[in-house]
Amino acid sequence: MALTITCPICGKRNGYEFRFGGEEKGPRPEENGLTPEAWCDYVHLNKCVAGVQEEWWFHKDGCGLWFTIQRDTTTNLEAETVSMSKLATENEEAEK
Amino acid sequence: MKDIKRVSPVKLKSNPLKTEKRDNWDIVMEYAGEGGGPYLVDLSHKPRLDLQNADVGAITPFGMTIPDSPGKCILQDGLLINRMNGTQASIYNLGYNLAGQEDVMMPDETGYTDVTESTICVAIIGKNIFSICEKLTALDFMSPEYVAPFLFQGPFSHVPCQIVTLSKAGDDSGIILTCSRGYGRDMIHSILDAGDEFNLKPAGENRFSDWISHL
Amino acid sequence: MMNRLNHLPTLKIDTAQKISYTYKGKSYYGVKGDTIASAMFANGVRIFGRSLKYHRPRGLYSLDGECSNTCMQVDGIPNVRCENTLLESGMVIEEQNVKGSAENDMMSFMDKLDWMMPAGFYYDVMHKPAKLWPVAMKQIRKAAGLGKISPDFKMPGKYDEVFLNTDVCIIGGGPAGMMAALSSAEKGLRVILMESRPWLGGFFEYRSAEYKDGQSLHDRATELAALVRAQENIRLFTHTACVGTYNNNLVTGFQIGKKSDVFDQRYVEIRAKSVVAAAGCIERPLLFDNNERPGVMQIACALRMAKTYGQLPGNKAVFSIGHDLGLEAAIELHDLGLTIECVADIREDGQDAVLLKQIAQRKIPLLKGWVAAKAFGRKKVKKVRLSSIDKMMRKTLECDLVVASAGVTPVTGHITVALGTLKYDNHTGCFLPDQMPENMFAAGRVLGLNDAMSIEASGTLAGLKASAACGLGSLEEIEKAAKIVEMLPGPVRGTKLVTAPVKGRKSFICFDEDATIKNIKQALAKGFDVPELIKRFTATGLGPGQGGIPGHNLPLYVAKCQTLPDVSIRPTNVRPPLVPTLISTYAGTNHTMFKTTAMDEMQRKDGGIFRNIGVWQRARYFSEDYACKKEIENVRNNVGMLDGSTLGKFRLHGPDALKALQRVYVSDMSKVKEGRIKYSAMCNDDGCVIDDGVVVKLGENDYYFTTSTGRAGQTIEWIRYHTRYDRWDFSLVNLTDSMGVINLSGPNARKVLEKIVDIDISNEAFGFSDYREFKIADTIPVRAMRLGFVGELSYELHVPASYMQSVWLMLKEAGKPFNIQNFGVEAQNVLRMEKCHIILGQESEQRTNLLDVGLGFLWNRSKSEAKTVGAVALAQAEHDQTRLKLVGFKTENNSRAPRDGALIVDQKVRGYVCTARDSFALNEAVGMALVDADLSKIGTRLEIYEDECGDDRIYGTVVKMPFYDPEGKRMKM
Repeated sequence: MALTITCPICGKRNGYEFRFGGEEKGPRPEENGLTPEAWCDYVHLNKCVAGVQEEWWFHKDGCGLWFTIQRDTTTNLEAETVSMSKLATENEEAEK
Repeated sequence: MKDIKRVSPVKLKSNPLKTEKRDNWDIVMEYAGEGGGPYLVDLSHKPRLDLQNADVGAITPFGMTIPDSPGKCILQDGLLINRMNGTQASIYNLGYNLAGQEDVMMPDETGYTDVTESTICVAIIGKNIFSICEKLTALDFMSPEYVAPFLFQGPFSHVPCQIVTLSKAGDDSGIILTCSRGYGRDMIHSILDAGDEFNLKPAGENRFSDWISHL
Repeated sequence: MMNRLNHLPTLKIDTAQKISYTYKGKSYYGVKGDTIASAMFANGVRIFGRSLKYHRPRGLYSLDGECSNTCMQVDGIPNVRCENTLLESGMVIEEQNVKGSAENDMMSFMDKLDWMMPAGFYYDVMHKPAKLWPVAMKQIRKAAGLGKISPDFKMPGKYDEVFLNTDVCIIGGGPAGMMAALSSAEKGLRVILMESRPWLGGFFEYRSAEYKDGQSLHDRATELAALVRAQENIRLFTHTACVGTYNNNLVTGFQIGKKSDVFDQRYVEIRAKSVVAAAGCIERPLLFDNNERPGVMQIACALRMAKTYGQLPGNKAVFSIGHDLGLEAAIELHDLGLTIECVADIREDGQDAVLLKQIAQRKIPLLKGWVAAKAFGRKKVKKVRLSSIDKMMRKTLECDLVVASAGVTPVTGHITVALGTLKYDNHTGCFLPDQMPENMFAAGRVLGLNDAMSIEASGTLAGLKASAACGLGSLEEIEKAAKIVEMLPGPVRGTKLVTAPVKGRKSFICFDEDATIKNIKQALAKGFDVPELIKRFTATGLGPGQGGIPGHNLPLYVAKCQTLPDVSIRPTNVRPPLVPTLISTYAGTNHTMFKTTAMDEMQRKDGGIFRNIGVWQRARYFSEDYACKKEIENVRNNVGMLDGSTLGKFRLHGPDALKALQRVYVSDMSKVKEGRIKYSAMCNDDGCVIDDGVVVKLGENDYYFTTSTGRAGQTIEWIRYHTRYDRWDFSLVNLTDSMGVINLSGPNARKVLEKIVDIDISNEAFGFSDYREFKIADTIPVRAMRLGFVGELSYELHVPASYMQSVWLMLKEAGKPFNIQNFGVEAQNVLRMEKCHIILGQESEQRTNLLDVGLGFLWNRSKSEAKTVGAVALAQAEHDQTRLKLVGFKTENNSRAPRDGALIVDQKVRGYVCTARDSFALNEAVGMALVDADLSKIGTRLEIYEDECGDDRIYGTVVKMPFYDPEGKRMKM
């Protein structure tokens, strides 16, 4: 596979080693007061960007980490890799 | 009552010349027709532990320090510790000095899981072993970026593996490979098939002990 | 057999070593180093096969396999490219696409019927009237394709694969590629050099012209090749064609094995940091009438036949060329003994002065501004008519060889398939690289260069750029190298002529598909105005040659016809594989990787019939009776053993372990009690049930749980995915392969087990749904569960995999007095079906939710803070009456069980049968089905439709579940 993905643990690897986990949409919404429409949007609505998008990948043949990358959907090339530390700070912010 | 025996997931067709009984395993020390290398050695009986902890770097299994970054390994007195990711390390007891040393007891802390039974474990040692590897995986063992010992977590013959390269030094090269026990039969078949042109032959544990003691 | 030229330094043959082969049943000899094509040519074969549509005779043309002219059936393999395939002793060679022989083909009358087959005739003619189509289809199928292959043909040979990593990958082992390799290698980088021919040297290799200071180009090629071979960090792949380049610098190709190699062909996949495209040029075919008649060939073909294979390509030749290489070839071939009647050069001027002088010295007549217009001769060239380009004058000359070429055209497929772009260059008349793909650099003749020094210097420059892309080198040295290239001669002016002044009914633009320039005109007349569409409509370039012959001419010709002032000429797309590649080569070694359990061998010895189930191989039956009557009755009435090792098994530990369980399981997992088993299920975000299994508590924050066989591979991924934002502290260990599982089931199970364990396993001490840990013989640690999947007294023993055989044998021995038997997956399937215990994937499909299958009781609604996966969707689906429901049914009038997957119908489809079997315990056929909710009431009649059943139906009645032992007494015994 021409696609390579840079795993924060294992480095740049063949795309075959990974499973796609969808666009980055943020954490699961709170259930109280959640409308069916809002839930459906969270689960099923995608932006389908023609260009760079943040998305989740799982290193299934490797270290078993879920992480996000920036991928240009028009060239199928990785744009930038989010480091684990960046991911962690984002999570902290999300929690706030 | 039947004999209690532990059976390795690795079946090699060569004739054993010398065997040893250890902890209910029948371990082949030497096979007939081992040739001049490269060698394939079954190490599935060597104890292997999984260690997971949020602060895994602070743990010192058997008094050893776990390497700080993923992919790094440390080999000391036959104990091999491989840092897998931020929270996980694997520990192989490749003990070569004394038979008794194989019986490393499970440390008392939680976080350890005995995974000896989860995987097959083989060593591929000797000349041309990376020429065998490149027939089975796209992982880049020869990259100067990776200095032995180092850990790859990636596919080998299409199956996810942990592969520790202990030496890249020409004829003394060697890797330790583990993959799910269930794949034992087909993994061994594909390694031997790929290694055939380089004269890869099954060898007994002695061959491995000699090799690792000279590392 | 022809006498070969024997003393040329460029020869690649050894005339002392003869190689025998069979052609059309007769024995012939070639020599070592021959390709199949050169050996056949030496034996006088000029017509190698017949063309696809018109059955025109075809012969040697390019010598690099750019067309199907010399494709033959070799050792039963059709479409072997004989120009690229080395002759091997004992080869059996047959002609293709002939009725009779290539020499006398009974189908050759087709050539006269071209008027019946205008461009796009498949599309136009065959679809009306519709009745005609089946008749036409039969005829077209008969005529279509080259070569013959039977459906049970098994490809001979050994195929291998290799996956390589490198810094720089260089495509093309000519002077530019070699220079690039050397300059990258000098930086200490890892370099891979691919060359499609069996040797290095490319454009220099077969030429005797001067390189510099009296050194010939051939000697220079040899010198460079030696330097390349001496570099340890250059990995050389000769006889390796590049078939694809992709983004991220992935390069694929295939290598043809030498005698000493263990493979016939191997797939080569290279991951590089940068790539140099230096594949050189091929020749642009000259379009004139009968331009593919045997005896017409390209310049390098004629020259290499002599210089590489030691054979003069004819006796009396006429050249029609448009490039200095043609003059050089005429001089060399003249000196080797070929009579040259005339050289017609398309160009009025601009020829190399030295070459002109040498032509004059040899008294070879040279016509400037002339071109071949028509070749004569029914099967082979006998005469050629030359014409001045302005059609003012013509003359006809007798000859048996026409060396024809309009010029050169760069091989740019490696650039464009990686999404680089080309631009028409007015000076050279070629498509030259415009936007290069990231980290790919072009060198040599691909850039339009022709001068030997320029070619080499451009190679060095590309090598430096490629090194810089790997992070080594300086801008300074690149600038310096670029200056050197600038100072040297640039691209030479190319001829613009596309076609000789002819009408073009028999001027072939594509040999493989028999497309003429008349066909192109027809397509244009129909309104097709883009080369890409004309290519599809006329099939030009869609043959095995992958566009090698028409690739350049088609867009040029179309542009010429359109005569629009600002037409920007664009080449047609090429796609991988760039050269024809065997499917077997792509398949490589094709190791099948399946998992086996610790019991695999023993079960095979016991007569187990194995099936591939997901990633595992499992014993499905233990006799040829696929209804498994004995196996089933043995479990119901006695005791049986099943190897359930494939079950997913996991340890989950750490401070947040319970939180993770609460997230993915629908039940309240805080209620898991030590020593007890909790059955639960996992759903996806749509509430659809994806997995079920049991959970036990090993200790504080320490759990052990099972999943279905099919889900084991994704379980960790699933749990980590659905907790990926939470930063919880928990650890997962996959113990699936670590623990073997023995399912000991049947009313006598306890009597067997108690013989090998020391603990009290009476119903009071170890009851239904209990979990126990103990050791067998003080040695083997066992995790035991009382489950009732098959509906009988049952123990599920989880045993370390290496001890499995020992425990299995102990149980077998202990069970001997009861005549204990194996049972397989199918028997288990029937046993559990009688109990209406579901198997996900069988009683569910992707849209089936937890409530549909009647597992709603597992769902705990009061843990919304856990954000349980699927809970929101389940709450929404709860009152939905439009969903399918799982029901049990039995068939009416004692009829047989319908097949799994049979449809439940009335006026439309109302559901389907999940599993149904003739039950031996109940003496009737029962099953489970997913049906519309309104059909789910007890007593509803179900009409069941099986594939191909016509008007016959099976009828069933919805009954209460489970069918067998509804009170569940037997599993709680």
